[in-house]
Amino acid sequence: MKLKKKTAMLMSFTLGTLLFATTALADIANKSGYEQLKDSLKLTAEKASGEFDSFTLDISFVVKDNGEIVMSQNQLEKYDRKNGASENTFSNEDISGRSYSGYNYFDKNTMIGFSNGDNTYHVTEFTDERKFNSFDNPFKQEEAEDVEKIADALVGSLKDYVMVNENPDGSRELSGSLSEVQIPPLVNAVSSFALKQEFNRPYEQRGLNLSKDIYVKEVKGTASVNKDGVLENVLGTAVLSGTDAQGKAHEISIEILGKMTDINSTVVTKPDLTGKNVVKEVAKSAEYGPEFSNPQKFVGKFKNDIVIEKDGKLVKAGERIVDITSIDSQSVSGRYHEEYAQGFEQMASKDKEFNFEGTFEQKSSRNARLTINTDSSKTYNGDMFFDEYAGKIYFNVNYLLSRRGYDSNYSPAFE
Amino acid sequence: MAVFQAALLNEVEKLYKKKKAFVAIILSLSMIVLGQLIIVGVRTGFGVRGVGSAEFPILVLSVVVNTILPLFTALVAIDSFSGEFSHNMMRITLTRPVSRFKVFSAKVTAISLFILANLLLLLVFSELAGFLFNANSASFGGFARTVLAYLVSFLPMLVLALGIVLLANIFKSGISVFFLSILFFLVFKVLGVFFSSYASLFITTHLDWYNLWLAHSFPGWKILRQLLIMAGYGIMLFTAGFYLFDKKEF
Repeated sequence: MKLKKKTAMLMSFTLGTLLFATTALADIANKSGYEQLKDSLKLTAEKASGEFDSFTLDISFVVKDNGEIVMSQNQLEKYDRKNGASENTFSNEDISGRSYSGYNYFDKNTMIGFSNGDNTYHVTEFTDERKFNSFDNPFKQEEAEDVEKIADALVGSLKDYVMVNENPDGSRELSGSLSEVQIPPLVNAVSSFALKQEFNRPYEQRGLNLSKDIYVKEVKGTASVNKDGVLENVLGTAVLSGTDAQGKAHEISIEILGKMTDINSTVVTKPDLTGKNVVKEVAKSAEYGPEFSNPQKFVGKFKNDIVIEKDGKLVKAGERIVDITSIDSQSVSGRYHEEYAQGFEQMASKDKEFNFEGTFEQKSSRNARLTINTDSSKTYNGDMFFDEYAGKIYFNVNYLLSRRGYDSNYSPAFE
Repeated sequence: MAVFQAALLNEVEKLYKKKKAFVAIILSLSMIVLGQLIIVGVRTGFGVRGVGSAEFPILVLSVVVNTILPLFTALVAIDSFSGEFSHNMMRITLTRPVSRFKVFSAKVTAISLFILANLLLLLVFSELAGFLFNANSASFGGFARTVLAYLVSFLPMLVLALGIVLLANIFKSGISVFFLSILFFLVFKVLGVFFSSYASLFITTHLDWYNLWLAHSFPGWKILRQLLIMAGYGIMLFTAGFYLFDKKEF
């Protein structure tokens, strides 16, 4: 009897261990749909940044209120890694009803921007050929691993909701759907609140002013992965439900669609600018600001008015004058002084005139750092910006700025 | 069987006579009241619905299953073993003509009855609160799912209880068992977050497995795997616990 009990115990313990060990191993080996989705996302990013010669991304984002579009963003991006060129066309309509669209083109030597609003092509030419990275792999960034861990923790037990459907040709369809019961209540409450804040524009005509009973009703997603494991198509939908102040029920759906097409067959063409409105700039490279062309044109006097209030009116009390005596692409020097009109001389403070010297910053060649030696032998710092288009200068000296009513915007003094 | 029934009755009676079980139930119910108050506050304060009537019981479950229920399961389990060891009550229990296996099983069964009763009470009251105070979003399907979620939560809780019983048989002092249980619980929770791919190895992650039963597209294989892991855990812990209980000298 005694022995039998021992054997029974031993057997049951072994059975338990075996049961646990085998299923645990199977469970770890089994890749959940969520893991598969993550893997194909990583693989796609890696191939896009290193293996594909060219590809096209089509991304759109639409928000609908009871089926009516209130906000949309469309973006068509073409990448040609081989030739180091990319272009993107976008059209957006924001929640207040403003819409804008445009086009951008990049290659090793050029950057072209066009927006339908001003109908002008802004062309920047780079004197140094820049290193072109058509697509950065987001998973290669330093914080990617931590972000992934956090995402995993947040997704938590929801990961088991991703279903996988394998097709005979090796491609896969991933899909997942969460209704209000499955979304953790805390997540639901926080995201509803965040979305409410995002959409509510109390001071504007449009905008979705939900005020009561807001909740996330449903979250759905599908993704298709081709036989190489590359994500070709992602569609995500979230439905938010609530009522506005008038008691009308709203169902707001947010849809995101991403497509990757024309792998290795995308062609990026540089736009033909003949006969178009073009503004051209030259810069050293993308990290540098545009170059300062012909700085000598800024030699001379620039001034603005000293304005004060007197007897209930604004009157001109004098002028501030910046006189640039010499300037080249490296440095600038000149003199600042204030001239007061008759009857206002008592306003003049000490240090109302001084000489300044400045050197231009490396990366932003229209901006100069200044050192100022005043008559009272104090040294001040400041900076100066040359606006080539408006033909103005901005003269910022910290002790002048601390005075009330100082105006740093100077126009050329034409006699 | 009659002997086992008598032993079980004895254990249930002991459990019933103690205040802990009552405190547990009262705390669980106050959890519902508190939860409902928070929901109402959030709703009027932020305009966010929080939960509908179908989701409220799930919200309560998600909180209780990770806080009050394991805590009081531990207390009851420890009381039933360590408490009796230290008060020399076990001798009295064992002088009865009942085998140790039956005493052990009766104790475990009494603990599971406590868990089950607590879960069912929570179910009834949270459903009631859900219907009374929240916008009606319930359907029969939703109700059935909620009942299912509560019922399946019994299993991981039982495994947890068996783990605590094992600890109670290893260590003499009830207090050290209690704190060790809490420590293990927290450590496993944290490990489950950081090593999410191995999360299914920890008992604590199974506490949330009712979520699987709520899924739109039923993840049958995942449920089966978790069920088998829990069964493996359960058998191991029960056997080990009984082995130690059997060896113990009083």
